[in-house]
Amino acid sequence: MSSVIPVAPVPLTKEQAEAMLHHQIKKHHVAIILVHWFNAMTWILEVSTGAALISSRYFRVAPDWYIAMFNGLLGGRANLLQFHIALGVTWILVFLPYGLFGFRTYLRGEMLKVTDRDDMRWLIIRTLQILGKSDEPLPPQGIYNAGQKAFSMVVWMMTPVVMVTGVTMAFRLGSPWVVGWAVVLHFLAVGMIVAGLVVHVYMGAIFPEEKPAFFSMITGTVNELFAYNHHFKWWREMKVAHLAWEQKRTPKDKGVGSDEPEGEPAEKPATDSPG
Amino acid sequence: MARYAMVTDLRKCVACKACTVACSAEWDVPTGQARTHVRATPLAGEFPDLMSSPYVAQCNHCDHPPCVEPCPSGATFQGDDGIVRVDGDVCIGCGFCVDACPYEARYISPRTKKVDKCDFCRPRIERGEEPACVATCTAHAKYFGDLEDRNGEVHRLVFHVGARRLETAAVAVGPNVYYLGRPEQLDLVLASFPPRPPQLLTAGEAWKKLARPLVIGVVGATFLGQAVAFFTQLHKGEGDFDE
Amino acid sequence: MTSEITRRRFLGTTATLGAATVVAPAAASQKVHPPGWRGTERVDKVPTTCEMCFWRCGVVASVAGGKVVRVAGHPEHPQNQGRLCARGNAGTGLLYDPDRLKTPLLRTGERGEGRFKRVSWDEALDFLAGKLVKLRQEHGPESVALFPHGNGPRFFATLMQAYGTPNSAEPSFAQCRGPREVGYSLTFGRGLGSPEPVDLEEARLIVLIGSHLGENVFTSQITAFATGLAHGAKLIAVDPRFSTAAAKADWWLPIRPGTDIALLLAWMNVLIGEGLYDREYVETYAKGFEQLQEHVKEFTPEWAAPITDLTAAKIRETARAMGAAKPAVALHPGRHVTWYGDDTQRARAMAILTALLGSWGRRGGIFLPTPIPKGSFDLPEFPEPKRGRADGAGTRFPLAPEELGVTNGLIDATVSGNPYPIKAWIVYGQNVLESIPQRSRTLEAIGKLDLMVVVDVLPVEQINYADLVLPEATYLERYDPPNIVESAKRPFIAVRSPVCEPLYESKPGWWIARELAKRLDLMAYFPWETPEQHLETILAPTGINGNELRNCGVVAFPGKPYLDDRAPQDRSFDTASGKIELFSQDLADLGADPMPRYTPHAEPPAGFLRLIYGRAPVHSFARSQNNKILNALMPENEVWLHTSVAREFGVAEGQRVILENSDGVRSNPILVKVTEGIRRDCAYVVHGFGHRSRALRLAFGRGASDNALMSRVSVDPLTGGTGMHVNFVRPVKA
Repeated sequence: MSSVIPVAPVPLTKEQAEAMLHHQIKKHHVAIILVHWFNAMTWILEVSTGAALISSRYFRVAPDWYIAMFNGLLGGRANLLQFHIALGVTWILVFLPYGLFGFRTYLRGEMLKVTDRDDMRWLIIRTLQILGKSDEPLPPQGIYNAGQKAFSMVVWMMTPVVMVTGVTMAFRLGSPWVVGWAVVLHFLAVGMIVAGLVVHVYMGAIFPEEKPAFFSMITGTVNELFAYNHHFKWWREMKVAHLAWEQKRTPKDKGVGSDEPEGEPAEKPATDSPG
Repeated sequence: MARYAMVTDLRKCVACKACTVACSAEWDVPTGQARTHVRATPLAGEFPDLMSSPYVAQCNHCDHPPCVEPCPSGATFQGDDGIVRVDGDVCIGCGFCVDACPYEARYISPRTKKVDKCDFCRPRIERGEEPACVATCTAHAKYFGDLEDRNGEVHRLVFHVGARRLETAAVAVGPNVYYLGRPEQLDLVLASFPPRPPQLLTAGEAWKKLARPLVIGVVGATFLGQAVAFFTQLHKGEGDFDE
Repeated sequence: MTSEITRRRFLGTTATLGAATVVAPAAASQKVHPPGWRGTERVDKVPTTCEMCFWRCGVVASVAGGKVVRVAGHPEHPQNQGRLCARGNAGTGLLYDPDRLKTPLLRTGERGEGRFKRVSWDEALDFLAGKLVKLRQEHGPESVALFPHGNGPRFFATLMQAYGTPNSAEPSFAQCRGPREVGYSLTFGRGLGSPEPVDLEEARLIVLIGSHLGENVFTSQITAFATGLAHGAKLIAVDPRFSTAAAKADWWLPIRPGTDIALLLAWMNVLIGEGLYDREYVETYAKGFEQLQEHVKEFTPEWAAPITDLTAAKIRETARAMGAAKPAVALHPGRHVTWYGDDTQRARAMAILTALLGSWGRRGGIFLPTPIPKGSFDLPEFPEPKRGRADGAGTRFPLAPEELGVTNGLIDATVSGNPYPIKAWIVYGQNVLESIPQRSRTLEAIGKLDLMVVVDVLPVEQINYADLVLPEATYLERYDPPNIVESAKRPFIAVRSPVCEPLYESKPGWWIARELAKRLDLMAYFPWETPEQHLETILAPTGINGNELRNCGVVAFPGKPYLDDRAPQDRSFDTASGKIELFSQDLADLGADPMPRYTPHAEPPAGFLRLIYGRAPVHSFARSQNNKILNALMPENEVWLHTSVAREFGVAEGQRVILENSDGVRSNPILVKVTEGIRRDCAYVVHGFGHRSRALRLAFGRGASDNALMSRVSVDPLTGGTGMHVNFVRPVKA
């Protein structure tokens, strides 16, 4: 391939596209994949049991039969609550170290870039595209697109709230006033995440264009063409890094990114958000 | 199914608080709390034409208990026998029910941080005993039994002697603790301790009026959005999206 | 199954033993709390007798793993019939009070400092026995005085009699019901005893004069009171304060304090003048009616009205109500009646009124005791004291009985050394600083002692003045002599037996007395080894088995409560004349009024209020304030002030004031309760608060002590009773 790396997506030849389609590049570390699916299972169970726990007509979000079914499944409200709490605590224990140690990489590395112009335009155009109102090409994206990052923002802001309020309720840490507000915040935070999840699940599992992204959460890799089309900035970063790595091996050549650590950048585990 | 009720004769009651302590001892109620309170009305009138009355407050096991709906977890519920119960295993201690009760019958235990209140000594009545407060009442001022038992003392006192419910036009939730007393005495009790309109804590109010509609709205809207997208996609055909 | 649940199983059936009925809760095992109740594995139910106050109700303790988890009323006890007051239900609060006395203590600091060292029982008892031997040698056995209370200290009474001292005095006489017992004895030939045999439940009219039933709670008395009212009894409440009873009354007479005798005389005037008294009864049973008729002629309601601050119309109306309801008029004799120094005469007036209404021995009036057999020990004769009693019982106070004595007489003797020096006090179960007025005089007396010993459960203030403190087991941990109650409609014998092991190093009174007897070589007076043997001997004539009684808790006998139950020849009265003495020759012989006469008492000086006091239903004396269950219900007392009085003194509801008496004695800060429900000339507080012992961590410094404000007393010359309503206080800003 040419050593000229385009600064913006250019039309690819059929051969180039074919070659890139069959070149898999690593996107997710296996740990990320495991965490993602653990998280997914937890959320399914916690949201479904949580909805069954709210039986008051004032606050409920699920119908009678649903609540009755879950109570029946777990042998009563007390068991249901115990299950919800036990799983929630497990989830926290798994996620707390993950969140704490990954904080710098995820939040500072990627998430705070969400506000750049491309991202904002991406969000608008993507929405219009899905609704069939726009044919404009999408602005180039990094390893995560603006939609994924927006969802991650919600998740990152709401997850601590869910955890703290959940623990507050489960162990009644504080006065009834505190617990009372904890219930409300827990509900609200989960509600916001669930709203994001609706999009996330649709885009990940149903929306055909993102199918490689879905499979990347199983295999850990995406084809280069998908990366080129959907995550151009990330693709370019990898190319630049790869070039720098090659130049470092032949020091007389000048290039960017000479302070990159040694190793094959493409093989470097990519970052991921918990969403 | 029985419909349990209690009658307290305020003409006999001397406010000795034996009921409070017996109840606390029976159920290990934390110091400083009580499932049944004994109070006295303020004095009405001027020296020497005065009137006052004792008042014994507890859970009324109302026909329409305003504490049940605000309980998010379903810990508070009403059994077929009319007894309003709290399932301590399910209670999360949010206190919504405490503010909902018009008779201030509920408290949050500082020990368990869960709500507790009178359950008409259900475990005792299941063994055929009287509630602890009735059994210890020094003045024999308390009666307990099945309202539907036509031969029972409670039925007689409520339907034939005219024991009264302490309720107002504003708060009529059908309390099942009835009171006997001189009419003016009961009027004074009701005026001094009127049932408080059920309240929902600000948190509960925020949940009911803001958080719940908001969550349903946002989740619903995204869901709808995805549905529209889904149908658009069906309409356009999958091929369009292929690379 | 059932034997698993109950260690001491109740008898399953009701057995008849001679005349006695062994009362057993039917199918007791079914009433046992189920396993799992409050986390328990297995619950034993053990009957015993309450001592949260002195009424001695039957209780059943639920014991799980050696821990008492619940004390409830004994369902088959003839007295309280399963009912139990707040204090009784709070028994575990005393048993598990963390502030309890735990080991014997020997004083190391100055008296009052409260510095002690812990000693073993052997050291403590050897020390005490050594002191007693020395005192007997140097000052004679009479120099030792006993201050007992309740039925626990009978073993100490025996010990002290054997030791050779006649000096023993309970506050239940001179600070409580002494004048009443004497006044009724002078009239009917016998006093009332305790529990008072007032037939409240059968009454058509209940008359309370200064008795505040409802705030003053004795379970069975409240049951009878409420039952009587529910059956339609009318109620007259004579009280300067709008009490709980006054709120239930058909007539509330807010009388000027100290003028009861004028009211009683005016009532007699109406009853006799209008022919409303029970003529047949008086003619049959009474003597001296003509003198009485003549005596009360001048005491018209119009005469009494300005004295009592009541209207003549109301006095007449209430007298007529009594006449209409007779003989079923329950004129309650009161209990604590040492108020103004003429209390024996006041009691006489009440007794005479009772007689005029034909209520004594009649349904709805005062019922009669039924004697029950009881055994006694064949003890060697007690040594005859060389010197007579030092307290003046029978001499200086001619009508004070020797078995109860005069506490303040003993204090006088200790202070003055007359008739001879008192060198040692043994205080058992009473609180000399809170139950006897004139605290500074009590402290002066203590200052003169060579030895002060306190046997108590809690570290109340007086222990700080003791040379030796002995920790006693609570009523739930000890055996006491059986409670034999004849003045009940169904007389009974009940036991107090331990329901659990004594906590810490506390010991039961019987053990302490017996160990001392060993060391004083007086074991001949303790011819029993165990409480069981002691009980068997007392029960011998009844044919009741001690084990059965302990299993049931109580044995009841059929009673003959009314005169009508008895043959005419058995209806005589134990007076000199064999009749009810409306005119008392005994009093005349002593130079006292043979019939009561009203004498005015000092009114509060300007700017002062009369200090009156009473009880709260959740506390007993000064004994229960540190009980965490009861403390939570009432941690401190309040001073009641009339609305206008509060305004005059510029104090408001909820504010704290200091009460200062006319001798300048000042109280702890106390909360103000502003109310219409009290006369303008009175200030009312509940007794028993204002504890000064820091070791009582809950009670210390909470509320004010009425007793500390009683620097003055008016002593009844007949009985030695200390009139305590003669102190005046004013609220001072705290």
